[in-house]
Amino acid sequence: MEDYADSNVGEYSNSTLSIKRHVRFFRMCLQALPSSYSSLDTSRLTVAFFALSGLDVLNSLDVIESEKQDIINWIYSLQVLPDPENTDESLSRCGFRGSSTIGLTFNPSEKDTATFHPYDWGHVAMTYTGLASLLILGDDLSRVNMPAIVAGLKALQLEDGSFSALENGSENDMRFVYCACCISYMLQDWSGINKDKAVQFIQNSLTHDFGIGQGPGQECHGGTTFCGIASLVLLDRLETAFTQKQIDGIKKWCLFRQQTGFNGRPNKKTDTCYSFWVGSTLKLLKVFNLIDFRWNRNYILSTEDTGMGGFAKWPDFHPDALHAYLGLCGLSMMGEEGLAPIHPALNISQRAADHLLSIHNKWRDGADS
Amino acid sequence: MAAQEIDADSGSEFDDDLALQFYRDRPEWNDIIPIPQDDGPNPVVRIAYSERFQDVFDYLRAVLKADERSERALDLTKDAVELNAANYTVWHYRRVLLQALKKDLREEMRYISEIIQDHPKNYQVWHHRRAIVEWLKDPSNELNFTESILEKDSKNYHAWSHRQWVLQTFKLWDGELDYVHKLLLEDLRNNSAWNQRYFVMSNTTGFSDESVVDREVKYAIEFIKKAPNNESSWSYLRGVLALRDISSFPGLMQTCQDMYSENVRSPFLLSFIIDIYEEQLESKTFPEDTLLKATQLCDVLIQVDAIRLKYWEYIKRSLTLRFGKQGEA
Repeated sequence: MEDYADSNVGEYSNSTLSIKRHVRFFRMCLQALPSSYSSLDTSRLTVAFFALSGLDVLNSLDVIESEKQDIINWIYSLQVLPDPENTDESLSRCGFRGSSTIGLTFNPSEKDTATFHPYDWGHVAMTYTGLASLLILGDDLSRVNMPAIVAGLKALQLEDGSFSALENGSENDMRFVYCACCISYMLQDWSGINKDKAVQFIQNSLTHDFGIGQGPGQECHGGTTFCGIASLVLLDRLETAFTQKQIDGIKKWCLFRQQTGFNGRPNKKTDTCYSFWVGSTLKLLKVFNLIDFRWNRNYILSTEDTGMGGFAKWPDFHPDALHAYLGLCGLSMMGEEGLAPIHPALNISQRAADHLLSIHNKWRDGADS
Repeated sequence: MAAQEIDADSGSEFDDDLALQFYRDRPEWNDIIPIPQDDGPNPVVRIAYSERFQDVFDYLRAVLKADERSERALDLTKDAVELNAANYTVWHYRRVLLQALKKDLREEMRYISEIIQDHPKNYQVWHHRRAIVEWLKDPSNELNFTESILEKDSKNYHAWSHRQWVLQTFKLWDGELDYVHKLLLEDLRNNSAWNQRYFVMSNTTGFSDESVVDREVKYAIEFIKKAPNNESSWSYLRGVLALRDISSFPGLMQTCQDMYSENVRSPFLLSFIIDIYEEQLESKTFPEDTLLKATQLCDVLIQVDAIRLKYWEYIKRSLTLRFGKQGEA
């Protein structure tokens, strides 16, 4: 904070963040979206994650205290469970769905009650955001079918080390490597990932200008650079995957993304979400303090919707749950007053990450006794 | 990243009469019992679906559950795509149907081309296109097609990914450098195009041949001179020289110094010269004032690249620590 206190950079340097307004925005996202959001029909769980984690970072989860159990049940109803009639073959389908749009009967329990559905699959991004949301809500993951999820992951890794999102009909890239690493870390079970291959895929995706792309040869990008570096941190391989020169190059590439806020690729426009994607990468590389806090804060605040709350990617654009959440995370990393600290690798609050740690300890104690 | 970008045009209205008719009112569908979405007693992130959306997806849920393989189901997937092109299950089901019904895949290529024109930044539609190209084993229209998408947005990541996959899978490297060159003449700050140049070079000649490296260094410098404050061309230069000592590359230091004397103060130029000095310092055969020159450049950068002030202070500090005489740090 001392960095912005003494200087007036940009027109928002004296503005304070309205916690209330953003709480209202995330509550609205959790309740209902207008029909123009129908393209999010299969990924409603990711919107729920942004809203829940947003409330968490705003230290305001208490406003949904009375709804927590209902939300937890709704998330569990999205778990793809093994088919009791054909457990082995159905394991590769397990994980979480993003919504109930496939048409199964609502079932929040850990036991499968439905008959087999030929087009029902989990999706790694939904499994990751589902588990993260449960942690944020204080759930103990007791209804998660962990062996099934790990088996589901195993089916999704390709020969080149990358991951698909689901067994049928998905591209494979760095985003899903990151989701797979988060899931394995949360469940403390890495048997669903061939770690060496995953690391190799990340190494092969380092570009000539020292960012990381969606895959080998592809242009480097702030989001995929985050996915690659955060995966290595979760895999505990950051120190060995790259040489010191390469790490120095990645730091520099990330620092050069700062314009006022951050852009996601060289010569592209600044966008609120990269204050998180690039900022947290710098945090993981332990050089976040080298950025200019004042300009970054000023940019994020310039994209705030001062009417309905939330942040947009650009000033005077409509806010959305993703940018609203990542904007807050960007501010939190700079110590903004009223915001909870975040765990940059898992992209959840430190409090939720601590809760995860307590669950891990319980599992360990349970296994020991 | 994790969530799909919102399509402003989803839920667009249908214009002909048949399309306006609800499935529940169509006699040819009356053998199907629609399945409503069951969101439980307390739905989260409820979407206020339009009546039409509910109608189409109620019937889609029914044919999915029954795994019906029919022409009418194939038509239904088109309506579903029109309402939500990001539904990956619909696309997967459509591919199952295309194969089961032995449909004309060329016709499907025309269809997916139209859809991509409307949703050029949607992962699912590009994945579908790739699947069809794989089935047809025919990449002949792919370079033209991606070119038409890149004409509207020359940095569309999906189009570039698809193009790279096509080039690599079908070995279509001839002519790609010309295309990239054309794009760079239009916009020399197009980082996607620079990346593509690097991609083509690494997959064809590589960078071990001296004459190739000479040519690419010249190419980069030509663009750098036109716009010295362009991160992309400087990065390309560095990439081309990744396997070599930049400090001993003939004429390079001179070129940089000439630009400096012409008063160019691009952070990328200054940073590049610092890198040359750093390499000399590492080689242990260097003029005595090399470290001083490098740290002086850091001081200039602290002025001209103020947003990265702390970074340049850090670089200055670490150079001094690594190469300074004891006590100097």
